[in-house]
Amino acid sequence: MTGPADRPAGQPGGPALLSGTARDRLRGTAAAGLLAAVLIAWAAIPAAGARPGTRITVIIAVLSAVASLGQLATADLTVGGQAFDSLPVRIAAQLVLLTRMLPWSEILIVAVLVLEALHHARPWHTGVLGVAVLAYLLAVHLTESGARPRILAGQRPVLAAGLGLLVLAVAAAALPQPGGRPGELLRVLAVAAAVVAAGLALPVIRR
Amino acid sequence: MTAGPASPARPAGPGALVSPAPGAAGAAAGQSCPVLWSLSAHARRLLTLAVAGLAVALLTGRPEFAGVAAPAVLLLAGWPARRPARVMVAARVTAQQLVEGEQAAIVVQVSGHGDLAIQAIITAAEAFEAGPGAERRAGDSAALRVPFRARQWGVRRVGRLEIVLRDRFRLWEGRLGLTLPRVDCHPRPAELRGRIVLSRLPSRLGEHPSRAAGEGIEFAGVRQFVPGDRQRRINWPATTRTGTVQLNTFTAERTQNIVVLADATASVGEPGATSLDLAFRAAAGTIGCYLAAGDRVGLIVYADRLSWIGPGLGRRHFHRLMDLLLGSKPGWELSAALTRLPKAALPPGALILVFSPLLHPRLVEALRDLRERGFSVLVVDVLTAAPAARSRDRVAGLARRIWRLEQQAIRFSLTELGIPVVHWDGQQSLDEPLAPYTRRVMLAGQR
Repeated sequence: MTGPADRPAGQPGGPALLSGTARDRLRGTAAAGLLAAVLIAWAAIPAAGARPGTRITVIIAVLSAVASLGQLATADLTVGGQAFDSLPVRIAAQLVLLTRMLPWSEILIVAVLVLEALHHARPWHTGVLGVAVLAYLLAVHLTESGARPRILAGQRPVLAAGLGLLVLAVAAAALPQPGGRPGELLRVLAVAAAVVAAGLALPVIRR
Repeated sequence: MTAGPASPARPAGPGALVSPAPGAAGAAAGQSCPVLWSLSAHARRLLTLAVAGLAVALLTGRPEFAGVAAPAVLLLAGWPARRPARVMVAARVTAQQLVEGEQAAIVVQVSGHGDLAIQAIITAAEAFEAGPGAERRAGDSAALRVPFRARQWGVRRVGRLEIVLRDRFRLWEGRLGLTLPRVDCHPRPAELRGRIVLSRLPSRLGEHPSRAAGEGIEFAGVRQFVPGDRQRRINWPATTRTGTVQLNTFTAERTQNIVVLADATASVGEPGATSLDLAFRAAAGTIGCYLAAGDRVGLIVYADRLSWIGPGLGRRHFHRLMDLLLGSKPGWELSAALTRLPKAALPPGALILVFSPLLHPRLVEALRDLRERGFSVLVVDVLTAAPAARSRDRVAGLARRIWRLEQQAIRFSLTELGIPVVHWDGQQSLDEPLAPYTRRVMLAGQR
């Protein structure tokens, strides 16, 4: 038998253990939702009636945006799980499970890029879309991790370099074409190579 | 009132060490644990953007899409080169013993992780509520403290502790899991201040004034002095008035034997307030209250097997009784009967306090038998539920009425035998239903 001195006791329970983060999460989810709406609208409006497949891509983008927001909003939530849950609770639990099953944010990104590729917008249009996609990703990241925006301060130089490359790529795309398909491909390869080279060089520069 | 086991001010000790999960090979508390590294969700999204941007650029021949991929590629390129395969983890629970509703914490100390940030999260088991995960920035060496709260009594594992290591840009996540130890969670004791005192008490020194004269401090009366009496007890006013030497007499102070009988054969009612919960909370409150008064308290748990501890005193005895309560397995008792219990479990002249929903006919029979053997028995009925009946179902309604009549008949028959039955709903203080018996001395063994 162990003596009472060997068995330390707990403290009387105070207020609810979970509090404070719900408002931040709601705010982050709202920001991500706004950015997702902007992304879809920006990519979809010039594509209206452009090519077949536009409508289905828009539907996929909207669905994935809604699901990703649901995923963000219900990340800390435990719905159901009891033996005798009511029907509405079980349906809600299935919906939450569905939102957690697939990487909806990734699907949204791909859908938006495909949507943008389906029409021949000006290069600057795609550049703005790139900035919005990046903002959406960072908003989702901050909401998901519950971190403060100042955590991105250390990444400012990297973000600036990335955005600089984006501007260069847009400028390269805006230049008059040297002629024909081979020149176009060469320009794409040059920009892609510049991006990859910058990515490879970055760790060396940081060291 | 002396400080007793009812309010156990137990000093904080080293706490229980956390054991590693079965998957965490070769690790223990304060030992090196393997870390499983993977890309974070943020990194996966950046990777998707980078790959999709470059692919669309190549497929469509539009270089601006490669530019869209550029920030993602550069952010991904910033991941750290050093990811430790193992880290040292020391974790402990601040309290191994809780009461329902009490809060404790897991204290985690991680070393060997370099400049990685650490997050510790508890995935709580069903009877526990986990607090928000604790986070430690890179370079900070303070221990992490993750709170949790016990919601339901019992001996259970708290759950699982997950430690997540993150790099500066939150691109990589290293995870390791630890299985948290079992914690004793006592039932929240019902509030009880008044005590039932029997008219006949055993001749053991205690704190209750008995009918017999003795060496106590409570005045009993005056009698004539006889040689051998102590002179300091002479009552001078009475001596002056009567002309003969008179002496003050005092009552003897005795202890009493209390046997708490907790019925664990049935658990009916709302989760968290079932008859079993109420019976154990009332039993815990009663045990604490009587032990604090210096009485000798024993416990019988009427469950899938009859388990008992004879009356005793003190804080250690309180913990023995609580261990018996927590260790009992609810279920129907089929073999043993109370008549087989030895005198050590049921001392003659003991007051038997029964906490039961009175649903088990064998227990009701056993109570009748105890009464016929001359024990003073008092039943606290903890049944707060009734069979549900649909409004239009006449047969179900009739069955419900018959059930109610049966229950009333059981209680009436016990009362007729001289076993008082009071009802406790688990909300109010236990003093309220017991008030008629705590205000005055209860006549021992009378019908």
